[in-house]
Amino acid sequence: MFTTLLSNRWIRISLWVALAVVLILAPLSLPEKTNQTITQIAVFAVAVLGLNIVMGYNGQINLGQIFFVGLGAYVAAWGVTQEWNIVLVFILSFLVPGIAGLIVSLAASRLKGLAIAMVTIMLPLVGVPLSKRLEEFTGGSQGIYAGFTTPPDWSGLARDQWQYYVVISITVVVFILGANFVRGKFGRALEIVRDNESVASSMGISPYRYKVLSFTVASMFGGVSGFLYLAAISYTSPETMSFVHSIGLIVAMVVGGAASIVGSLLGGAYYVLIPQITNAINPNLTAVFQGIILLLVLFLLPGGLVTLPAAIRRLVQKMKKSEMSETHSTQDSTKSVTKDSSLKK
Amino acid sequence: MKFNKKSRGVVSAVALASAAALVLAGCARTVEPSPGITDTEITLGVISPLTGPTAGPGNCTVDGLKAYFGAANAAGGIEFGDGKTRTVNVEAADDVYDPQKALSNFQSMKDSVFAFTSGLGTATNRAWREAAIEDSVPQVLIMTGDPIFSNIEESPQQLGFVPLYQTEGSAFGELLAASGSDHKVAILSQNDDFGKGYVEGFKSAVEGASNIEIVGELTYEATDTSIDAQLTELAGTGADVFFNANSQVPLVSNALLKAQEIGWLPSWFLPSNTSSPAIVGPNNGAAYPGVYSTVFSKSPASPAYAEDEDVKTFLANMEEYSGVTEIAFPHCVWSYQVAATLEQVFQKMKEPTRENFMIELRTIADFEAPLMLPGKTINTTIDGQSAISDVQVVKFNGAGYSPAEEF
Repeated sequence: MFTTLLSNRWIRISLWVALAVVLILAPLSLPEKTNQTITQIAVFAVAVLGLNIVMGYNGQINLGQIFFVGLGAYVAAWGVTQEWNIVLVFILSFLVPGIAGLIVSLAASRLKGLAIAMVTIMLPLVGVPLSKRLEEFTGGSQGIYAGFTTPPDWSGLARDQWQYYVVISITVVVFILGANFVRGKFGRALEIVRDNESVASSMGISPYRYKVLSFTVASMFGGVSGFLYLAAISYTSPETMSFVHSIGLIVAMVVGGAASIVGSLLGGAYYVLIPQITNAINPNLTAVFQGIILLLVLFLLPGGLVTLPAAIRRLVQKMKKSEMSETHSTQDSTKSVTKDSSLKK
Repeated sequence: MKFNKKSRGVVSAVALASAAALVLAGCARTVEPSPGITDTEITLGVISPLTGPTAGPGNCTVDGLKAYFGAANAAGGIEFGDGKTRTVNVEAADDVYDPQKALSNFQSMKDSVFAFTSGLGTATNRAWREAAIEDSVPQVLIMTGDPIFSNIEESPQQLGFVPLYQTEGSAFGELLAASGSDHKVAILSQNDDFGKGYVEGFKSAVEGASNIEIVGELTYEATDTSIDAQLTELAGTGADVFFNANSQVPLVSNALLKAQEIGWLPSWFLPSNTSSPAIVGPNNGAAYPGVYSTVFSKSPASPAYAEDEDVKTFLANMEEYSGVTEIAFPHCVWSYQVAATLEQVFQKMKEPTRENFMIELRTIADFEAPLMLPGKTINTTIDGQSAISDVQVVKFNGAGYSPAEEF
């Protein structure tokens, strides 16, 4: 019934409008901390979305996504401290990582499996010491403070509300672009390349070109995430692009749901919320509890959190079926009784 | 501004009314307590790395606080300057040395915590420095030698506890320059603000000293697993003094052994956080003409202080209130001293507000905190310096450290 309702175009449109209204009105009444948390979730959801495009949809193992996030944040921070126009800063903050991603993938996408994983590992490993040395651009190991999300006077908003609007509006646009990218012609091509390169080639799809394309797009999304990171945190340092966080993003992608747009959102939520939750449980055992939660999710929902509704539906259907078969069997027995009696006649 | 007669009347009426309102408000003035403090309790927050590679020192920044305040609470609490006796709660949060998590923790805790203290890390403390200033939340006596936190103008809500990295580097530089004899110095430093701070302090102290020549200078990454290559290269310079601004315990241990292996036996300088006798002793530090460091506090692991009353109380409190029996990092001692300093501030606080706390925080002078070396004191009144700005250069004596008056 639910799906038939959703197939009605007007109902779908009004649902989207309702969602938009909620997104716009929510920060005005939510507590400061909730706004800040939603903002941070959006930041990392964009990074996970990029990772999903290159890894989930296209099957290239990318262990260096955090490098592009860090690079985007540095470009944004540099632009802000130079007092450039913020729109220009935004464009540069995904263009520069995009170009870096293109250069890396031109070489790396010729490789397969573990080899490309090794190349991408190198990015954050080189990025951290490099950013410590390029002190005039990055502020060295002390990092760089560059806040640009002070709410303008006319808005009458608090900082957390303004940050929310800046970050969420960009995130919504990026997610629409991402969803369009992975659907349609490109998306199908990416998935064919992931599943079987020979088949892709025989259909006239160049695996190499599509791999470079998806890697570059993912890097640009990483850059956008870096810009949003600066919008939400106002500070970046070499620690931002530490290799551990790259693994964190991959975990978030798998937990959220690989090759899924909604999964990317859930992944972002996982990345931000789990440290907060485990801190509330016991700050000395955050790593242990994060491990336990990760294992639980992977055991119960191997397809990620995004498969939760499907899992529930299966469960409900199973229960219904067993109910139905029970009623069936009682009906059968009454039938057979009547048959018997008719025979007797 | 020009007013016509009528509006002037209105203006003066309004002015009179607002003046009256202000006076009345002044009469009825009651101090609204800041978040995290009641008449019986005060809550302090610590944001430190409690898991991950820096978990060891990070946990110590909490354990020392808990030990000191645990004992104080058991004795009935601390009497504040406003006459009320309060017990102290310590709330810790793990940032895994990630700036984003540190900021997120600050955002979660700022409405339930009176003041943040003792947290370890430069990048992680910097990540929420601006937010703390904007919200007027104290971020004080923290474990970083980054000078920005001790500059009142730049950081009105902050104050560092441990000496600036520069202070330690220059203390050794001064001793060396005053020796009168010629020395060749090889410098190895960590590629970050820690390493650079030490080198900066050292160089400024030996600047113009004709007897000191820097013959080699290399760096390494904090994440490196070996510095053997740098050691070999520096050994080739024939330096007789090795200035090793290194914050990584395993790297220091390995380097102490490696230099002996390749037959390079200079005098060493090591920073206060990697020079404990537990590191230098087992790696045969006695093989060198001297291993120098700077200290301001007693080392509980040193046999020299085994009978010291301060040390005994400290160890007993650590065991009882933090469950720690082995003091592996000096940060445990430092956070214990942070707690003692905070107690001094609490005793002076006339109002239960963050504002009053910050004012009183900057008035502690000549305070001989427990576990301080004789003659060394805590002084929070010097702008541009952290709470501890006076360090003692010491020399390894085979079991612990003894003061080094000359090189």
